[in-house]
Amino acid sequence: MAATTETVRRVKVKPNYEMIAWKWMRYSAFALIPLVWIHAILQDVVVGVHAMDLGYVAERWASLFWRVFDALLLGFAFAHGVNGLRQVLNDFIHGEKGRKILNWSLFIFWLAIFLIGAIALIGGVNQQFPLE
Amino acid sequence: MEVRMRIFRFNPEKDRKPHYDVFTVEAQPTDRVLDVLEWIRGDVDGTLAFRRSCAHGVCGSDAMRINGRNYLACKVLLRDLGTTEITVEPLLGLPVIKDLIVDMGPFFEHYKTVMPYLVNDELPADGKERLQSPEQRERFDDTTKCILCAACTTSCPSFWSNGQYVGPAAIVNAHRFIFDSRDQAAVERLEILNDQFGVWRCRTAFNCTEACPREIKITQAIAEVKRAIQTGRVE
Repeated sequence: MAATTETVRRVKVKPNYEMIAWKWMRYSAFALIPLVWIHAILQDVVVGVHAMDLGYVAERWASLFWRVFDALLLGFAFAHGVNGLRQVLNDFIHGEKGRKILNWSLFIFWLAIFLIGAIALIGGVNQQFPLE
Repeated sequence: MEVRMRIFRFNPEKDRKPHYDVFTVEAQPTDRVLDVLEWIRGDVDGTLAFRRSCAHGVCGSDAMRINGRNYLACKVLLRDLGTTEITVEPLLGLPVIKDLIVDMGPFFEHYKTVMPYLVNDELPADGKERLQSPEQRERFDDTTKCILCAACTTSCPSFWSNGQYVGPAAIVNAHRFIFDSRDQAAVERLEILNDQFGVWRCRTAFNCTEACPREIKITQAIAEVKRAIQTGRVE
């Protein structure tokens, strides 16, 4: 029998919560690179923090693009942070049940804050500018 | 040269808390830390407890923390420590039995969980042996070098904070068989490691790679296992 030189083998590993969370951490980081850079350059360099007033906020809020952009930034950055926090807290939680509670609590925490933020951002204000 | 050895001491039959003893020793720069420990035990204090076996970096018995870093006491020369003040402590993250001796039980329990043996229920085609090309053997060569000294696992901050983590040494030994073309249990091992306390607990601190006395690229091996789980390709 001759030895084969084939070194690649296919395996099928069932995906689980941890594998998805790990992937999420990587992919959300890819999404965060343009989201955070555009946000930081625009707000801090192009506009500048001292030039931000109610007029600027209202102008930005009037554009659907920026509302969706900000909602995405909130969702991805917050999820990335909460998943990191989950990893840190897992250092201190030694029971299976505790970990389950932690996972669900953090997910609900993320979802609630993201939904409130997204509704406020995308829903916008129901008044014409200048505000009365 | 004169070295000041500060050694962690704990005798569970007498001490309520651990303490440090200081020994001043006349030694050569080319002496190893193990030589100094042997001299202290032989000539000064026979109650000092530490493990050693081959004393040549092969058996992995004398892993310990020397000036805050994990080494094999038999592989580190005094001159390489760059100081004459030497603190010797037991490995972190495992229960201390006495002085520098730790209970390796939890470490070997984790090791056993990853099936660290060849699994192949089929008879070889020629009925004699399972052949492998040099390239296939090369694929897992690095991880065959592990001597199970526990220097990596006990240098890992994830393991310190939660001992349920399987640890770098167990993953290295899983890697050794997962990437072996003759083995048939890669899926089982990858499923065992696809867990919060499997490979996903690794945060690439690289402490394991630095601590390994065999210079195994441990963090890379862990990353290869992570990739195999994600992509389903053992390559």
